[in-house]
Amino acid sequence: MSSSREAITFRANVQKALRDPMLREAIKRATDTFVTKRTEGIASLPMEEWREKASTIRMKVLDNLPQYVEQFCASAERAGAKVYQAVDAESARRTVAGILEDRGVKKVVKAKSMVTEEIHLNPCLQERGIDVLETDLGEYIVQLAAEAPSHILAPAIHKTREQIGKLFAEKLGVDYSDDPTVLTRVARNVLRTEFLTADAGITGANFAVADTGSLVIFTNEGNGRMVTTVPRLHVAVLTIEKLLPSVTDLPSFVRLLPRSATGQMLSSYVSVITGPRKPGDFTGADELHIVLLDNGRWEILKGEYREILKCIRCSACLNVCPVYRAIGGHAYDSTYPGPMGIVLTALLEGMERAHPVLDATTLCGACVDACPVKVPLVRLLCRLREASVEEGFAPLLEKRGMSAYGAVVSSPVMFAFGQTLARIFWPFAQKLSGYGPMSRIPRPVARAFRRRML
Amino acid sequence: MNNDRVVSLFMENATKCGAETFRAAGLDEAQRLLDDLLRNAKSIFCPGVGEKERALVIPPEKREEDYREASVCVEEVFGAVAETGSIVCSSEGGRVVQAGLLPPHHVAIVPQERIYETVEDLFALWGQDIPTNVTLETGPSRTADIELTLTIGVHGPERLTIIVAP
Repeated sequence: MSSSREAITFRANVQKALRDPMLREAIKRATDTFVTKRTEGIASLPMEEWREKASTIRMKVLDNLPQYVEQFCASAERAGAKVYQAVDAESARRTVAGILEDRGVKKVVKAKSMVTEEIHLNPCLQERGIDVLETDLGEYIVQLAAEAPSHILAPAIHKTREQIGKLFAEKLGVDYSDDPTVLTRVARNVLRTEFLTADAGITGANFAVADTGSLVIFTNEGNGRMVTTVPRLHVAVLTIEKLLPSVTDLPSFVRLLPRSATGQMLSSYVSVITGPRKPGDFTGADELHIVLLDNGRWEILKGEYREILKCIRCSACLNVCPVYRAIGGHAYDSTYPGPMGIVLTALLEGMERAHPVLDATTLCGACVDACPVKVPLVRLLCRLREASVEEGFAPLLEKRGMSAYGAVVSSPVMFAFGQTLARIFWPFAQKLSGYGPMSRIPRPVARAFRRRML
Repeated sequence: MNNDRVVSLFMENATKCGAETFRAAGLDEAQRLLDDLLRNAKSIFCPGVGEKERALVIPPEKREEDYREASVCVEEVFGAVAETGSIVCSSEGGRVVQAGLLPPHHVAIVPQERIYETVEDLFALWGQDIPTNVTLETGPSRTADIELTLTIGVHGPERLTIIVAP
């Protein structure tokens, strides 16, 4: 993944994705499965009521974020954690690396975290000679293959079992198998040793609770629990908008997050971690360090796109998005793909780089209907498109075309003339192009509607 | 909802999530269930701290003091939540929450009177004074990361057995 300012080559990425039938099949199967399971999972539940409640809680967080950040820092410190506030990716990386280096850490096990992808933490630690191992099975596969996750929840959905079997045989020296059970067992055994010998664990957090200073982590595999209880040092990296006001707000999200993500009633493991191991405790890391990261969030909070910060990263909007379903996550060339990803990418990485992915939406609104916290994604996407035009990022042809169209439709005489021209030139236009979008334009009618009205 | 209905709702939901569930009328029955479950166990970790852990007999020749080496963890957990079918493990009282995570088989003895109907009811118990680690465990460890094929037992136990006992 590139972090340069150069524009994302979205069109080219899409062409590549669409020419890969295996990828398309895999993405289609994954998103269909998630959507079906979610639909089944929420049937006969008062989802509208739950979404409204969750959305209200998330708005309350955004409206009072400075207060909750302060409260969280105080509560977490009271519980014995050390809290660091980092303004950007660079300072977060430096903070994490500093904590690890001060304690002579050589090997780190990680539970899946999108924020650490966002700040490119792994390469930074590896450069400093620290071994970093992803432990979520999907992330582990993607890391072994030296690739990037293609879905925020199921990072390796773009790979087939045969590809994974070959990868394991090549990198781990085990016998080839394409049986997911066997492959999972191999990963379990390899990673079990790593858990037991790692010096530190790094996680993100699904939520952080302001009044108790707790971190909340959902996993299905159990790696989140391993990473936070087996090594003696736990470093958590999270962005400020992950906060919830109170532990009493947690149940709403315990109900909504897994159902929106995988359709499960609940993920296998939900851990609420409050501070490090205390006297008399036999659970938890001896030291807990929490890096609370801004990385552009305060700026977003002040502006007209603030509601994107309600997002809880469930990935429901990816799975229902007709564009994501066709092209998968890599084409977006960003940490966050899909509808919420487009908005975040534009805001976090800037319009110059992100403007091409603003095309990756049909504005159909399926994402809005699926969102468990009611992020008005279509409104945000439309506004970003307007902004991209205002800032001069529309392609020249589109700009010229639009102003020509504007001139034509604002004058009745020109409009009527245009209709006549269209009728005359339509057969030629068909022959000229012969394929592509032109062939899908319907034949203009002989007598236009407005003339019938006159 | 009375306790009996909460217990059945919990057992129904836990079963849906892939746990094996049993309800014992008393500790004698819990012991018989446990004997059956442990017949083929290789090595068993049991903290022996909780009231029910002390009352139940684990074959001494199979006892393992290090939970990292055990093939089964037998423990009395904090309680359960009916709404989600989850057992609740807490670090209160020096409990080793990760002991139920590492061995391939987790046998959880759930005190019948501590099954809460909703997640709210559970967190209301502690308020802001929450233990270091509270974990809701719902079914066995699972993944669908390879071609979305559901595979049980990744990093956590592949088998979760729940015995509800008074």
